[in-house]
Amino acid sequence: MILKIEKIGLSLEAELLNKLLEIGKTHYQKEFGGFLIGYYSEDNRHLHITDTVLPKRYQASKYSFERSTEGIENEFTEFYTGTPIKIYIGEWHTHPNNSPIPSATDISAINTIINNKNTSIANPVLLIIGYSKNTVDFGFYVWFENNLYKYD
Amino acid sequence: MDKNKHLDSVISTHQITKEETLFDKYVKKKNEVKEALEDKYESDIYSPFNSGSYAKNTAINTKFDFDLVSPFKRNAFGCSGTLKEMYEDVYDFLYEKYKDVAEVKKQKVSIGLEFYADSDGDVIKIDVVPGRELSQDQYKENENLNLYVYYKYGNIDAGSERIKTNVKAQINNIKTRATDEKDSIRKIIRLLKVWKNTKYNYPTKSFFLELITIKAFDNKTITGSIWEKLETVLEYIRDNVTKDSFTLKDPGNSSNDLADTLTSYEKQQLSDDMKNMLDRIRDNDENLKTYFPENSKFKKEESKTNQYGTNSGMPVPPPKLNFG
Ligand SMILES: [Zn+2]
Repeated sequence: MILKIEKIGLSLEAELLNKLLEIGKTHYQKEFGGFLIGYYSEDNRHLHITDTVLPKRYQASKYSFERSTEGIENEFTEFYTGTPIKIYIGEWHTHPNNSPIPSATDISAINTIINNKNTSIANPVLLIIGYSKNTVDFGFYVWFENNLYKYD
Repeated sequence: MDKNKHLDSVISTHQITKEETLFDKYVKKKNEVKEALEDKYESDIYSPFNSGSYAKNTAINTKFDFDLVSPFKRNAFGCSGTLKEMYEDVYDFLYEKYKDVAEVKKQKVSIGLEFYADSDGDVIKIDVVPGRELSQDQYKENENLNLYVYYKYGNIDAGSERIKTNVKAQINNIKTRATDEKDSIRKIIRLLKVWKNTKYNYPTKSFFLELITIKAFDNKTITGSIWEKLETVLEYIRDNVTKDSFTLKDPGNSSNDLADTLTSYEKQQLSDDMKNMLDRIRDNDENLKTYFPENSKFKKEESKTNQYGTNSGMPVPPPKLNFG
């Protein structure tokens, strides 16, 4: 289920968004993606996405993308021990020549995150970058109150 | 009832513990030292990174163990500069900078900074590990570093040039494991303190519960969900605390045995309490709530739905994930 969400905020620099798009485009026509890093405001109402970690190991095709954390586990700890403390908050991937709407696989990925005992993140974020030669469209989603919501 | 969900809520609704404040102090200090090194060595150094393997037996009480690996470029100390020169240069720099506020010591592959106790009595220790790439720009490729191994024979300094292949990879495993484990230990300790606070004037001290939890993690394989981990620790206490051979050494003072702070009767009581608790939770999951209540004051605030949920500890992404 996809709904609009207005109660909680999310922000990131256009620079980061552009960077993700550029990285994604270098893998055209295959999908590509990575991990999103950020932190919450003190009142927990706002999420700032600040960085990405890219997978070293992954498999991709036009319609699928599988990433692994192998070899990059350390990077999450680095962010966690920095100032401010930054954490893994979700995932991003591209949909080349397609709209940024979560596929069934994407939704089950979110469920995997939620149900993973070690993940311990209450509201994972999913960013999908749908792009083609001349267009780009970003879709931000967050798992909240047992539903996947779309940010405005 | 979802036992794990309840326990997570118990942990997040009870207040931040001293350990977390201390952990933040370490992080701050570590970043200070890192910045000092970057200011001093500028373009001769890659970004120092933290490879802290938090020493197990001291993870909770006052001592985290932070290693700060400082990767130097091949020609940072001239093209014929030796590893010894690197080590000495970093030592001299740190000594000059910190001699008034810390003990600065030469150690095997690192330079130890032990800051004098702050106003809370906390002692922060950071080990700086200088390393140098094997050839120009090679660090960026594979992160291999040469370390200088320092020895001391009597009063005579001696050293050797040693190749350590990929410090980063070597420490990764230990570190991730140590971080995860420390996080689990912290959660279990918090739960045990919540349980202790449900009782009036319970003879077992908090420090005792901290140490026995760490000892359980040292002696048993503790894995699974938060409930499974808690269960294993409760069983460990139940089965071990009354043994004659049972000791609980204070890491700050090894001649201090915390096991002696309880009488045999009190140890028996602690063991029986663990047994009863385990039996009753096995009878009915709901009983978990009696032993480990949520902090209701906090809970009300949290039920506002215009906030992100609280995450406890460092979230770890699932190792493999598919997108379509
Ligand atoms: Zn997708």
